[in-house]
Amino acid sequence: MLEFLRRNQVLLGSGVFLSLSLALLVVNRGGTRRFDPLGAVFLELLRPLQSVTAQATREVSSVWTRYVGLLNAEAENRRLRDRLRALEAEHHRDAENRRLSHLLDFKSHLPSQVVTARVIGRDASEIFQTLILDRGERDGVKPAMAVVCAEGVIGRIAQSSPHASRVLLLSDHNSGVDALVQRTRARGIVEGALSGSCSMKYIKRGDEVQAGDVVVTSGLDGIFPKGILIGRVSSVSRKDVGLYQVADVVPAVDFAKLEEVLVLASAPEQVNEAIEAAARAKATPEPTATPVAALTPTPLPRKPAATPRRGESRREAVPVTPSGPARP
Amino acid sequence: MGLLSLVMITAVLGVLLQTTVLHLLPLASIMPDFVVILCVYLALHEHSVAGTLGAFLLGYFTDSFSGNVLGLHAFAMSLVFLLVYLLARQLWMDNVVANVAVVFVASLLKALAVAFLVAVCLSADYPWNHLFSTVWIEAAIAALFSPVVFSLLDAGRRMWGLD
Repeated sequence: MLEFLRRNQVLLGSGVFLSLSLALLVVNRGGTRRFDPLGAVFLELLRPLQSVTAQATREVSSVWTRYVGLLNAEAENRRLRDRLRALEAEHHRDAENRRLSHLLDFKSHLPSQVVTARVIGRDASEIFQTLILDRGERDGVKPAMAVVCAEGVIGRIAQSSPHASRVLLLSDHNSGVDALVQRTRARGIVEGALSGSCSMKYIKRGDEVQAGDVVVTSGLDGIFPKGILIGRVSSVSRKDVGLYQVADVVPAVDFAKLEEVLVLASAPEQVNEAIEAAARAKATPEPTATPVAALTPTPLPRKPAATPRRGESRREAVPVTPSGPARP
Repeated sequence: MGLLSLVMITAVLGVLLQTTVLHLLPLASIMPDFVVILCVYLALHEHSVAGTLGAFLLGYFTDSFSGNVLGLHAFAMSLVFLLVYLLARQLWMDNVVANVAVVFVASLLKALAVAFLVAVCLSADYPWNHLFSTVWIEAAIAALFSPVVFSLLDAGRRMWGLD
């Protein structure tokens, strides 16, 4: 018996591990929370290495970008090159300042329980869409928390360890966000796909949706606050039969270029209240206040509030636009 | 077990590269899959339960940094290990060309196994066209990288006295 086991140990071992893998797959399929006993350990183990590598990569990338930029100026004289270098450095600083102040401006409209995190890694395969952040449970980041940035919705926390966490992006096929078309208040679910695109499903056939419509969160999924920008409808498809129509949505956020994100550690209701309070404060602007509207794309005209759907608040939410809550 | 430790350390470095640096390359959507190369190496050199455990852990480790579904890569890597092991028992594999060919086939097999599981267990709308257009290139890149990775692992084995 022992001889048989020893001789066939690889076949038997493979059988055991293949079965175990399938069992893990079955246990985790379809769920938003996964059973992953070692995941947090791996995440924590790799976090310092990823932080250092991401930082080094950013530095090298920055040096490389500057080098390529300067190659084209090689033919020009020294004075122009010095001038160019100075301008580039200034521009780089300005752009970075603008980006960070944009983020801070957005953060100032949210309640205090917001964790700012840096992206230190991305998904190990190309089928799925996740990000790794340098903040974890010690900073108050927990699974199922919403992750946003100044441009809009990014995703939700899928897993966290003491010092790191993983974000399931909006474009991942396991993602689902309850959403509204801002103009007509048509409701649906924005889901990712394996191809990396997004679509808004389960929109009632009779609801009006068209290309260019802005899609925002409805706040009904218990994860995202109401009114956060998701993206714009690029096309609408309606089959001859069926109760629903489907709209392709282009996310407002370019996930490939994310560097810093905000994790909403408060409950969505608290965030909504804070956003509305901020909007009320904005309704009576002080003379020295920052002109938010100058940075904000004009919101599309909205239909008068209809009878609220079941479970939907009667209170009209203020949609959050790139630089904060839009004026009512 | 010594070889398993070496492969696991290399896997950490491989996944570290895959989750950080390689995303910045021009063809970021087509990355060399270091984990499948390591799995093939393990299947060619570690014919024991430790080898099967190593393959499973390599897949599990990848799953921990990929998507929200656990077990996909763990299954694919265990399958790749088993098939390469069975192949290695029948054929002479101790030369570079054979190794490159095996890594190419193993990479294809792993991609197909993952795609099949995703399509069957998770989603019916798997983008098969996209898969078939990129899987060959991914497999070729993995095969091209394999001699370098194998040489580094051989050097590591000699350095750690595992030969």
